[in-house]
Amino acid sequence: MLKMEGVQKIYRTDLVQTHALRSLSLEVEEGEFVAVTGPSGSGKTTFLNIAGLLETFDGGRYTLDGKDVSRLSDRERSKIRNVKIGFIFQSFNLIPDLNVYDNVDVPLRYRGLASGERDRRIKEALERVGLASRLKHLPSQLSGGQQQRVAIARALAGSPRILFADEPTGNLDSLMAREVMNMLEEINAQGTTIVMVTHDPELARRMHRNIHIMDGQASDFEDRSDAPVDRIAPRAAAAAPAVG
Amino acid sequence: MEIRPILSALMRNKTGALLIAAQIALTFAITINAAYVIRDRLAIAARPSGVDDEQRVLAVRYTMNSPQNIDAMAQRDLRSLQAVPGVESVAITNQVPLGGGGWSGSFAVQNRRESPSVNAGMVFDDGHLLPTLGVKLVEGRYFRPDEILVIDPNTSRDNPPTALVTRGLAKTLFPNEASVLGKTVYLGNTADSPALQIIGVVDHIETPWAQTSERHLNSVIFPQRLLQPYNYYVVRLRADAAPDTRQQILDTLARNEPDRVTTRGLESIADLRAKRYRGEYAVAGLLLAVTVFLLIVTASGIVGMASLWVNLRRKQIGVRRALGATRADIVRYFITENLMISGTGVVAGLVAAQLLNALLLRQMSLPPLPWGGLAFGVVALLLLGVGSVLGPAMRASRLSPALATRSI
Ligand SMILES: Nc1ncnc2c1ncn2[C@@H]1O[C@H](COP(=O)(O)OP(=O)(O)O)[C@@H](O)[C@H]1O
Ligand SMILES: [Mg+2]
Repeated sequence: MLKMEGVQKIYRTDLVQTHALRSLSLEVEEGEFVAVTGPSGSGKTTFLNIAGLLETFDGGRYTLDGKDVSRLSDRERSKIRNVKIGFIFQSFNLIPDLNVYDNVDVPLRYRGLASGERDRRIKEALERVGLASRLKHLPSQLSGGQQQRVAIARALAGSPRILFADEPTGNLDSLMAREVMNMLEEINAQGTTIVMVTHDPELARRMHRNIHIMDGQASDFEDRSDAPVDRIAPRAAAAAPAVG
Repeated sequence: MEIRPILSALMRNKTGALLIAAQIALTFAITINAAYVIRDRLAIAARPSGVDDEQRVLAVRYTMNSPQNIDAMAQRDLRSLQAVPGVESVAITNQVPLGGGGWSGSFAVQNRRESPSVNAGMVFDDGHLLPTLGVKLVEGRYFRPDEILVIDPNTSRDNPPTALVTRGLAKTLFPNEASVLGKTVYLGNTADSPALQIIGVVDHIETPWAQTSERHLNSVIFPQRLLQPYNYYVVRLRADAAPDTRQQILDTLARNEPDRVTTRGLESIADLRAKRYRGEYAVAGLLLAVTVFLLIVTASGIVGMASLWVNLRRKQIGVRRALGATRADIVRYFITENLMISGTGVVAGLVAAQLLNALLLRQMSLPPLPWGGLAFGVVALLLLGVGSVLGPAMRASRLSPALATRSI
């Protein structure tokens, strides 16, 4: 699904060069639910941005869904983000001036879907996250957990192949965090690959596999023996009951 | 494409948008009326004088210091002017088009009190004036040499029995006649008003005053030389006249008994036109400056507002990019938003423009705003809006999608 080989990222400012990723190599199989952990500043977000085509990289190879994405135009990258990728951010990132319905609609409009199709997808996605009754609410009228669920609905409405989440529970209290985690596990169980950055070891333990990033390098592919992981047929694993 | 969500987002940030819309409305109302007045003034300044090739026709204003034999002196001046190389023809007259001062009289179709009279310029032609000016005769005939009267105002109150009129005056005096040849007009509307028979019609000869009203079309041309010590010599230059011909003309007149003739100025009809319409150009220039200033202020307002909004929405733009918006989508968003604001402003501006125009109509004699001009104004202002927002919109489109994950 996702394969990086020796990916490098250097941030250049006038004074300093930061090697955010030195030579990152890792692989995520279809259907996996992978946690990316590591200390603050180790390059987790950088990895996620590159993986999600939010940023370009300076060296190495990156194949997403069987396609080399190193040399795509900005337009093509936008298209892939729009159709194949779903994002869930730590700070929810809903558009404050748009109501719940219109927020979920944003990526669907960029996709150019017909209004009937969009309406069906929006309602279905909001149904899935249990917010079908809040269509007209503004983000400011919702709790953090509800906002994150809207964001999840927004990511799901496009039926993405892969979901990237950067500390999705970082701004939530533990109850809401658990709710969001359950939801992500359910989504993964239905077949969507998820890559989630977290520094909460408790959460990381619930996942199939942890990738530890240290100083811009994936130090190891840490297979957790107690997790029900089948690397060869991950869909089989996804079909297993969600771990709790 | 995404009009409804843009509109609902806009409705939650009304104040700034309304301020810009109001500014656009005001700019529109003022600009469209200013443009209209400018056009009107420039059209007045560009009216034909009836003189062919104004650059080549010189008017020499003179006063004789000690006039003993005015006619002999004038004839001698005319002969020496004719001999100046580069001079095509010369004439003597009491007034010239756009000259600023001259004679006018009231003309009526009947010599009775009830007959309405029309004010018209009175041009005295020595038999050479029209060809020298290059004024076109459109009907009838020109004066024969034997028709030209020489009138001494100290001893005679005579008037010639024939005259030419301008087409404008003919239409005013005889609105229902196909031809005015042979008709009589009276200089005044009393029983003893002198009668003049119209023997010809000229296309146009501008009055010295070049009024902004229709009256500037009215002139009567008399076949006469008036023996007065101040008059105009009119000189038509050849196309190939040397550049110093003007000076030679002045020198020639000075040589002819210098203490008896003072020239008070030599100006081409083109010079006189520039002088006469200086006010019109000044008004047009001032309004143009105000208009340009307003447009710059408005454009800056839009640029400022759009830049502010781009900065306030950096995060949102990053998120939209992350969710799949292309750069073009972001540019389109800002342009659509701007068109909504400008559109509102322009619609309000159309109403304001009509109100302002109604006010101006009462102050100045202007016809109502033409729809074509309004449509042009609408398009121009919408383009100004789009043009102003383009810079900030392009900047917004270059923001990185990574802003969605980085806290800025
Ligand atoms: N836009 C940027 N410009 C310069 N340096 C950056 C930028 N973004 C991240 N970095 C640096 O890159 C390194 C990795 O950052 P990041 O990927 O955000 O780490 P993490 O998400 O693991 O905390 C850090 O040293 C950070 O300061
Ligand atoms: Mg981070």
